[in-house]
Amino acid sequence: MANQSPYAGSNGSTPRWVKVFGIIALVLVLLFVILHLTGNSPFGPSSHTPPMEQGVQ
Amino acid sequence: MTPGLRKLALIAHITFSVGWLGAVAGGLALTVAGLTSQDAQTVRAAYLALELTARSVIVPLSLASLLTGLIQSLGTEWGLFRHYWVVFKLLITVLATILLLVHLQAISYMADVAAGTALSSTDFRGLRMDLVLKASLAVLALLVATTLSVYKPRGMTRYGWHKQDEQRKVSRL
Repeated sequence: MANQSPYAGSNGSTPRWVKVFGIIALVLVLLFVILHLTGNSPFGPSSHTPPMEQGVQ
Repeated sequence: MTPGLRKLALIAHITFSVGWLGAVAGGLALTVAGLTSQDAQTVRAAYLALELTARSVIVPLSLASLLTGLIQSLGTEWGLFRHYWVVFKLLITVLATILLLVHLQAISYMADVAAGTALSSTDFRGLRMDLVLKASLAVLALLVATTLSVYKPRGMTRYGWHKQDEQRKVSRL
């Protein structure tokens, strides 16, 4: 990164890859938030809060 | 930054960042072993090693990667908010670091449980599968960040265009 001079860029419009990345990121964040708010994480209860009791023998 | 200092900062950033990716990949292997192994000793060892690795390797590397990335961007003409690829890398790094710190609790919990009892394949299955999922997503996110670092796809932010105009005006004087 430090050995290259930053390029000028061709024009002021937002590149397509940025829009695609942005959409993907937004979808992932929304999915994450919805799943955690509804408690419907794919594999059970919220993962960062340890469960109170779960099948420990 | 002087050229020598730039190279040093770049070496540090690459080392910490790729090291972080490698450590997370190792963590992924441990979460998979913890989930799939039929041997109780292996499962116990996997979660104990996962917690040790997370606290002593992954977290320090993530913070070092973030810090050196900030130094690299702010100390060179790339800047922190001038180019989209830098902005995306920053977002990925910050988000991955925050989520890592949040999930340390779950990792420590699994390690404590594994240390105290022999886990069957169904015990805490949801949490164990979630650890695998989160580790996989982390590897993917860091691979994306690494790819952005190499390709540096074109695209300046509005702030970047503004700064570039300013520099051009100054250079004409």
